[in-house]
Amino acid sequence: MKVKILRQVSPFSESYWETFDADVPGETSVAALIDHINYNDDITDETGRPTTRIGWECSCLQGVCGSCAMVINEVPSLACETFVRDLVKDGNGTITIRPLRKFPIVHDLVVDRSSIFENLKKTSMYVEEYRPSSKAKKAKQKEELAHRYQTAKCLKCGLCLEVCPNYVNGERFLGALFANDCYLVSSRNPERSAEVGKQYAEHFAAGCSKSLSCMDVCPMKIPTIASMAKMNRKA
Amino acid sequence: MRDAIVIGSGIAGMTCAIRLAERGVHVCLVSPFPSERSQSVLAAGGINGVLSEHEEGDSVACHIEDTLRGGCGLAGRKAVTGLCESAEDIIRRLEKAGTVFSVDENGRPLRRAFGGQSFRRTYYCGSATGKHIVSALVMELRRYEARGLVERKLWSCFYSALISDGRCCGVILYDETKLDLIPLTADAVVIATGGQNAMFGKTTGSTQCDGYTAGKLFTQGVELKNLEFIQYHPTTIETKQKRMLISEAVRGEGGRLFYLEDGRRVYFLEDKYGPNGNLMTRDIISREIDAAGKTVWLDISFLGEEEIMRRLPEVRDLCLKYIGLDIAKEPVPVAPSVHFFMGGIAVHLNHETNIKNLFAIGECASMYHGANRLGGNSLLSAQYSAIVAAEEIASRAPAGGVPDFAAELGEGRAHLRKLKESSGSRFPVTYIREMLADTMREDLGITRDEASLRSGIKSIDYYLSLADGINYDSSVAMHELYSLKAILQLARATLTSAESRRESRGAHFRADYPCEDDSYAAATIISYDEGRYSTRLDEERKYES
Repeated sequence: MKVKILRQVSPFSESYWETFDADVPGETSVAALIDHINYNDDITDETGRPTTRIGWECSCLQGVCGSCAMVINEVPSLACETFVRDLVKDGNGTITIRPLRKFPIVHDLVVDRSSIFENLKKTSMYVEEYRPSSKAKKAKQKEELAHRYQTAKCLKCGLCLEVCPNYVNGERFLGALFANDCYLVSSRNPERSAEVGKQYAEHFAAGCSKSLSCMDVCPMKIPTIASMAKMNRKA
Repeated sequence: MRDAIVIGSGIAGMTCAIRLAERGVHVCLVSPFPSERSQSVLAAGGINGVLSEHEEGDSVACHIEDTLRGGCGLAGRKAVTGLCESAEDIIRRLEKAGTVFSVDENGRPLRRAFGGQSFRRTYYCGSATGKHIVSALVMELRRYEARGLVERKLWSCFYSALISDGRCCGVILYDETKLDLIPLTADAVVIATGGQNAMFGKTTGSTQCDGYTAGKLFTQGVELKNLEFIQYHPTTIETKQKRMLISEAVRGEGGRLFYLEDGRRVYFLEDKYGPNGNLMTRDIISREIDAAGKTVWLDISFLGEEEIMRRLPEVRDLCLKYIGLDIAKEPVPVAPSVHFFMGGIAVHLNHETNIKNLFAIGECASMYHGANRLGGNSLLSAQYSAIVAAEEIASRAPAGGVPDFAAELGEGRAHLRKLKESSGSRFPVTYIREMLADTMREDLGITRDEASLRSGIKSIDYYLSLADGINYDSSVAMHELYSLKAILQLARATLTSAESRRESRGAHFRADYPCEDDSYAAATIISYDEGRYSTRLDEERKYES
């Protein structure tokens, strides 16, 4: 199979496509595939021309840290849980990999996602004092807890922002991960609800066209639409 | 003190930063990646504590005794007492920070059984406890970031500590955005860099936890302790990209280990240790699986799909995703793999190292777990150690002037230049790291002996002889390049420590000395001086004060 990768040496250089030949079993993940290409004395592209090792980020390699977020065959995905068998038939075909494009490139597939964290800081996404509402009925509390459990699993990987038709660069519209954090803060401390609601209205509700593609690519399967419904009710 | 640098932003690093900021100490929190990428998110099973509402018969005293017994006499009573007595405060604070603990019908946190413990005292968030604690702490910390009390420094890797006359005044960092070394000074430095999984290749942990910081500090005069005690987690699965952990929560929820003999299931642990055999400590189960010499299976299918989805959803997802097996329908084949390091940087009770104003916390420090750690005690000790260090730092007077470190910085820059220009050997870093991992797995396995350890040391010495002359590979991150030598030195220190302990205790099993020997009932301390590795037993218990 062919592996076509969009590469870039540094933040200041031009990007270029490079294609590699690879022969790996179908159950190999894209993370292991990149490792496989990199683990060679002399790396060459498909024409035999010597080239350099592919830069990429990883940490947990099992879908819970969000490091290896990239775009694989045009779908924003985690490389460690995307498998070759689902990308090419019988080992024939091309796998196309490019970095997330909503963030500045550092090197090859490594991008700088600092803006995610800066924006959450700027918009004061913290609980202050934990005071969850105890007035709700038991069944409701159970449902809230289940949603909080799912939402708190957000990896801040940026896949939801990459796929979003409304998210540009995080200057105004802050995307699904922001909406979910808004929900977490206001559910943990209703006293901050009004303030968080304002941020939500400005940085999410005003810009979301509800394509909900964020939910399709979320590796944690976070039902962002439920966070939106809860935030809208609060507003 | 006025300010501190915390290296590492997992659960220990974040807890320390929060507690320091609460006391008005300015913190610079350094890590190449945000906290969401830390190894802490992989912690699955839970956190131990005896709360005011506890299982009948349980007590803090019992938690202390279980921990000391699990540690086979090598953990200090004073330290463990502090740890267990603080558990309630720590868990309550996590609840207050918004950690989504699993609760019963009445909203009370649930407890599960864990290995080596007399009662159910492990609180949990499904089987993703570490991730949920990280999420809560990230938000808690953000409050202090917004106030300017905590400054996060991303894209920065530890290079070395600034040490003068036995006192630490800061660090030199490699800044990946500037592609240069940057000095940073503060009244105190706290190391929270986790264990050294990556020394063994792709194990259950993060690829980022490579042990470099501990290794580098070792060569700068910091003493290390109990490196030979490495926890092999009994239940992991092999996948194409790494070994993955099957949480002890599975056994806590009733999971049974067996092997097949003539087509019949043999529940070998229950046969040998009784009905609670599957909940023996990790060291014992790993050795038993190793000794079985055949495929061992873990079965939890009898719990049924609904209960599995309620208590262990992440474990089911993991097995489905990576090995295509449904634990709700069939047993899963498991084998032991490197998981946790009981040893690490030697610290006193206040978590200060033998270098003044240099502290170590979390998995990179050695204090509470002796020769074997109980499941559920590491999430607890990561936070407790951070709190102890923060309190100590906040209560001290500012450190005073900073000496001139221009020479160290110049040497560092010259070192990196030399690495870039070197072309003495045909071995790139990646190959040496792979060979190191093979050596460590082979020669420092669950069972060791003199011959395997000596052979390991010989191999590491060979890799060390290559390390100064390797080819620079511009497509590899600079950290990977400059870290190689200190990682090898840490590996050498680990093998040397294991060679010096001629007995078997906890996770350290010597085939040539299979019994526990009272003359070794003290911690191994190892120090470094210009290529010489010297071990001694801490018989005066210097590090327990």
